[in-house]
Amino acid sequence: MRPFEPHLIPDFMLDILPYLSVTLGVTLATVIFGCVLGGIIAYLKLYGNKLQRLLANAYTYSMRCTPSIILLFIVFYGLPKFLIEMFDYDINDFNRAFFVIITFTLLFAANISEIMRAAYIAVDRGQYEAAVSVGMSSWQAHYRIVFPQAAVIALPNFGNSLLNLLKEGSLAYTVGLVDLLGAGELIVARAYGASALEVYIAVGLIYYGIAVALEKICLHLEERFSPQKIVKV
Amino acid sequence: MLKVTNIKKAFKDNKVLKGVDIEVNKGDVVVILGVSGSGKTTLLRCINFLEKADSGQLDFDEQHIDYAKVTDKEINAIRKKTAFVFQNYNLFNNKTALENVTEGLIYGRNVPQSEAVSLAKKALDKVGLSERYDYYPSQLSGGQQQRVGIARAIAIEPEVILFDEPTSALDPELIGEVLGVIKKLAEEGKTMVIVTHEMQFAKEVATHAIFMDDGVIVEQGKPEKIFTNPEEERTRKFLRRILPESEYII
Amino acid sequence: MELNYEFMADTFFKLFHALPVTLSITFVALLAATPIAFLLALARIKKIKYLQLPIKLYISLVRGVPMIVQILVIYSLLPSLLNYLFKELNISYNIFDLNTIWYAYIIFTLSTCAMLTEVFRSALQSIDRGQLEAGYSVGMSTWRIYLRIIIPQALVVALPSLCNITVSIIKNTSLVFMMAVKDITAVGKIAASYGYNYIEAYIDVFVVYIIICSVVQILFNVLEKSFGRFRQRVLSN
Repeated sequence: MRPFEPHLIPDFMLDILPYLSVTLGVTLATVIFGCVLGGIIAYLKLYGNKLQRLLANAYTYSMRCTPSIILLFIVFYGLPKFLIEMFDYDINDFNRAFFVIITFTLLFAANISEIMRAAYIAVDRGQYEAAVSVGMSSWQAHYRIVFPQAAVIALPNFGNSLLNLLKEGSLAYTVGLVDLLGAGELIVARAYGASALEVYIAVGLIYYGIAVALEKICLHLEERFSPQKIVKV
Repeated sequence: MLKVTNIKKAFKDNKVLKGVDIEVNKGDVVVILGVSGSGKTTLLRCINFLEKADSGQLDFDEQHIDYAKVTDKEINAIRKKTAFVFQNYNLFNNKTALENVTEGLIYGRNVPQSEAVSLAKKALDKVGLSERYDYYPSQLSGGQQQRVGIARAIAIEPEVILFDEPTSALDPELIGEVLGVIKKLAEEGKTMVIVTHEMQFAKEVATHAIFMDDGVIVEQGKPEKIFTNPEEERTRKFLRRILPESEYII
Repeated sequence: MELNYEFMADTFFKLFHALPVTLSITFVALLAATPIAFLLALARIKKIKYLQLPIKLYISLVRGVPMIVQILVIYSLLPSLLNYLFKELNISYNIFDLNTIWYAYIIFTLSTCAMLTEVFRSALQSIDRGQLEAGYSVGMSTWRIYLRIIIPQALVVALPSLCNITVSIIKNTSLVFMMAVKDITAVGKIAASYGYNYIEAYIDVFVVYIIICSVVQILFNVLEKSFGRFRQRVLSN
């Protein structure tokens, strides 16, 4: 057996770490677009007509059942063909990140719409009624009273979804995006498969570090914004 | 029959029982009174080893147990002679009323299935639940649940039944039906130890009353004496505070 | 957009030939992980001293590291490690002849076990201590109370999470093509590159996963209804 060389792991980590910016950039873009789309879907689920509700729920359901990698392949191979045939518009040489962001926006939006909907419902209706009763407009009541409370309720699930997004995002390398895992694969390929184990462990450790940090941040935010704390202050 | 001597129990630094003695004879209905946190529930739980006392002795019939070095075998022997009725019923949620009663008979007492069912039905009939054999706890009212709890306790024919505030989790209008059942058991001469806040009821059923405060027994004796003419100032204060509230009708 | 429907129909049925692979990985992972996860959950609940930290670390590693990276790490470690061990122990079996699905079994059991441990722990802890005490008070032994009272109740609490975990295992099995295991995705991938019918093939795969996950969710709903009978409130007459 080729000897395991753990001392290589830190070096590999340093080589790979610069690509963290790619992973985080793609994740950030996905979160922004995903929240917008997710908000629209959540709105349709709550206030849409029958057909809109049905479509929104069907969308969420099918995304929940779809492996990320399949959707990624469909978007990566299907979208360019679709756009060329329908609109004669060529996106084949678009950056790989483009396809990755679209794919994970679709997945994340489904997830987040469910979280938004549940959190919105969890805020007592009386909060809204009280806000309107003191003369706020419906928008003000939502913006100033209901949404902030819903956000606190949604926080733990949002953190979970974000972690999932980060992890699933590592599949982007299968369509050639050079993110954390993509950079690792390049190192492995360059060395013809030698040190693969050490490289993958290095990638795993970086992801683990991000996950632990994310969890800490979420816990901190939850504590900071939990209602009990606000009462005490 | 049952004698507890110098029992002590602390939760971390909080001494809940500071050396308590009680004695229960066959046919006694012992009522334990006291404010919340006086140690009465802990005392009851220690008798059934739901709580492990730090030190003290327990004598049950011929059996002598030292709390400091009690074995699982001894605990089992005591539990086979006692039954416990819980404040919040603690019915097995995944079992019907009937199964709640047979469960202990079959798996605690090794009674054969068919016999267990007929014993269980008899017990449920006695507490007035002949119509509710196949109901799950979630389908029963609080009063009905507690009556199943009592049926579960009497079905195993224990030598003594321990009641831990059996009505304190109930809505006021449901208290009567449960107290009625316990009263009936008292009239039949069942041996019972009852922790309760229902003074009127306590006065009616008790053959012996104990007043506890701050982990010790302050006063005990015949109920008519404890309730009407207590010697200790602490007892008097307790009764003054609690008696006006306990005007209810069974 | 013109799709090759004949190819789609053809591939659709081909994919179902790979169904046993996807399902067997899911089942093996769930079945093998359940007893271990149950013991680990008990160890967590009973706060057994030297096991706390290792179990916590194991769970957080599985939670924090992407499945694909877990697969890559273990798949680049296990075969050569086993090969080395077999040589040392003079076992003449050639490990590289082993069906790679075994590595899938191992990897998915490991990750499922971590997820199940947390689910079992919280389900068991959600059962009121009074249930145990009530069992004691009528003279039942601890393991009998667990077997007849606590586990059946905890199972019902755990069912929704078990459903989610099962769905996520099925979705994650789509990555086993990395190890040359021929699951649904792998078969779809092969069909796709054969004649460049990517979209058609992957839409087929997409539909097949929706069907499988729907069946799983329906099954779990049925289980929840039948095991959870005791929780349904019916008006007493």
